[in-house]
Amino acid sequence: MPGALSSLKIIEVGDLVSAPYAAKLMADMGAEVIKIERPGLGDRARTRGPFPGDSPHPEKSGLFLYLNANKYGITLDIAKPEGMNLLERLAAQADVLIHNVWPPEMDRVGFSYERMRKANPRLVMTSITPYGITGPNRDWRAEELTMWGAGGVCVLNGAGADYPELPPLRTFGSQAGFQGGVHGAVATMGAVMAQLRDGEGQHVDVSVQESIASQLELTFEYWPYMGMIATRLGRKPIQPVETMRCKDGWIYVCCIEEHQWRAFVEIMGDPEWAREEIFADRVKRGENWEALKIFLEEYVSQHTVLDLYRKVQERRVPFAPVSTMGDLLNSEHLKARGFFVEIAHPVAGVYRYPGAPLKYHATPWEIRMPAPTLGQHNEEIFGRRLGLDSARMAELKRTGVI
Amino acid sequence: MATPPLEGIRVADFTWVWAGPYCTLQLAHLGADVIRIETKTRPCITRVLPPWPEGKPGGLNRSGYFNQYNQGKRSLTLNFKDPAAHEVARKLIAKSDVVTNNFAHGVMDRMGFGYEELKKIKPDIIMISLSGYGDTGPYRDYVAYGPAQVPLSGLSSLTGYKGWPPMHAGFSYADPNAGVHGAFAVLAALYHRAKTGQGQYIDMSQWECAMTLLPEGILEYTFNGREPERDGNRDPMMAPHGIFKCLDRPEKVAGNTIDQWVAIVCADDTDWGRLARAIERPELATEPKFATLASRKRNEDELEAIITQWTVSRRAADIARSLQHAGVPAAVVADNKYLSEEDAHIRARDYFVLRDHPEVGKRQHAGIPWKLGRTETSVRAAAPTIGQHTDEVLEQLLGYSADEITNLRAQGALE
Repeated sequence: MPGALSSLKIIEVGDLVSAPYAAKLMADMGAEVIKIERPGLGDRARTRGPFPGDSPHPEKSGLFLYLNANKYGITLDIAKPEGMNLLERLAAQADVLIHNVWPPEMDRVGFSYERMRKANPRLVMTSITPYGITGPNRDWRAEELTMWGAGGVCVLNGAGADYPELPPLRTFGSQAGFQGGVHGAVATMGAVMAQLRDGEGQHVDVSVQESIASQLELTFEYWPYMGMIATRLGRKPIQPVETMRCKDGWIYVCCIEEHQWRAFVEIMGDPEWAREEIFADRVKRGENWEALKIFLEEYVSQHTVLDLYRKVQERRVPFAPVSTMGDLLNSEHLKARGFFVEIAHPVAGVYRYPGAPLKYHATPWEIRMPAPTLGQHNEEIFGRRLGLDSARMAELKRTGVI
Repeated sequence: MATPPLEGIRVADFTWVWAGPYCTLQLAHLGADVIRIETKTRPCITRVLPPWPEGKPGGLNRSGYFNQYNQGKRSLTLNFKDPAAHEVARKLIAKSDVVTNNFAHGVMDRMGFGYEELKKIKPDIIMISLSGYGDTGPYRDYVAYGPAQVPLSGLSSLTGYKGWPPMHAGFSYADPNAGVHGAFAVLAALYHRAKTGQGQYIDMSQWECAMTLLPEGILEYTFNGREPERDGNRDPMMAPHGIFKCLDRPEKVAGNTIDQWVAIVCADDTDWGRLARAIERPELATEPKFATLASRKRNEDELEAIITQWTVSRRAADIARSLQHAGVPAAVVADNKYLSEEDAHIRARDYFVLRDHPEVGKRQHAGIPWKLGRTETSVRAAAPTIGQHTDEVLEQLLGYSADEITNLRAQGALE
């Protein structure tokens, strides 16, 4: 059985994370993705690493290799008229074009939906941009950190009321890019469903800032409902929900419901202190956290992470290990589910990577090929797909178009 | 405008709390008829959590949390202690395309709504389970709560100030992340069904879904056998790359002084030159201590102190605007009030929506983070009050008569 999206043809003009992740989600479900990179330099993810042995190499960057498996890779300079012309010809054969070209750059090179639509009226074109393609900030420069801030999530994380001088804290990695990517993939698939219904394409405008602001849980609503500002400095109203140190690592101690707390107290051997009035309910435990912490630390620190985790989970108390990368790679649960996948790349070598976010029972999620080397499929795509002869391709190469 | 992409697609939505409702919110945004199956005997926790209008709790319909993540959906109440409620649900499933849930593994089976049962009711049904640990593996029966999924995923051990313990993300990030990935999965399955006529079951683990966001951390380990060190807001390839203190908000909010911060990044030496001029220290652009990335990384504490000297006496919004004018990536580290009232950009894009709600009136809610050019994209209605659409669904969709509905209600099946 082929993948769920095996009849979908996608062109990706993607750099770093957002558009490449959207196209990856589809590629891993069988869609054909042709990824376009700048001649010479390629996708900036090629410079980001991590690199095996710490030696930077454009074909060995972990971020690039992860995001671009299952894709064909070609080089094309869309800032050159001939490059744009070739992009139009590729778009004419595709169902979807996903890109994250920065809006001022789109303007500069004349890359627009109107233009792509002329080449292919049934094309779905998705623009994933930091602030969207309209509005006063559309041309603002953006990086991961600035977007995590602009989306309203970063302000919620940090050391808390005892350390007001410490700044709001980012979340590790490329989370703004990933969220732009997956929300972009949802919107794109919506437009694809409409295309399936009536054969027409459309432009999809995805804002990374808004994708992040969609995930503020209850915190955003504190302003319109109660006139309150939510920040990292708030104290936790209920406890315990805290990271604590075990013998061999960290565990997340989590008792939200009363029955979970009672089960944990029993696991701890029903100590006398737990009967104190100041710990009688979760709100009181929040108010008296400084005192409670001392008792809990003493107990937790005598256990290993896995022992305590298994012990409390047997009583349905939702603790979790603060997993290290090694914990994840060695987890018996993840091994049994086959989460990590091995990918062999001709230059980078054979390594394990994060695998499927979802398991489909009828259609497979699968790695069919490793990420492309820069321009690896130029001949196949420009030659066989677009019918350029080798003299023409040599000419385009000489002039820096491909 | 053409009708929304998922017009005519129906979702029998057994989800609750956050991950599942965030999944079906995306489907509602795309025009699906999402019918949340709820019960007054054990209401969704988000219906009773704050915030409430003006801080006043009361009833099941006043929570801003529930009202945010259930916009545009319908609510049907069923009490599964009564067999007649099962019959109603089976009829609804027969008229649905998708069944969603985020219970722990096995709960839907025990309720009699496992995938094999659903297939008998509707052979091409698409079913998705967004459980904490997935349907297989030794921990499949473990209990997963939103906040604990962040450390479990590995994200906490990668996030934190230098030399500090692991930190959190500040929100239950694995929940909405699972929800939006789940929505994508349902859409891909709908596409497959449209092409082949075949439905299917999708097993999603919130844990695994979160790990797909951590390639830089996981690959550092598989490539080099090393755990990445926590390094605050910094980046190995860019400096400055930080969040800097600005003037506090001039107004007090709920009696508190509110601090404000700005994120500033220089992607390369050119950006650094621009920033040095913008903070009126042009000589720093060529000063050997800061002229190259390597030297800025070596002297990053001092670099950040110099920038803070400039930012600390200015307003965050003014800084973001003037640095952007100078060509430097910068943004206000936005809080809820900033997004709600002060971010002129997000307002110009009409991101927030206000819809009439019978108990909370018109409240501002986060809207749809994308715009479709040709097909209608709008939040159709405020979140439903509990059971608001029970009669409507039973009568108009499932063909129950008014008498039958009265009887069902009298026996408690519609609680």
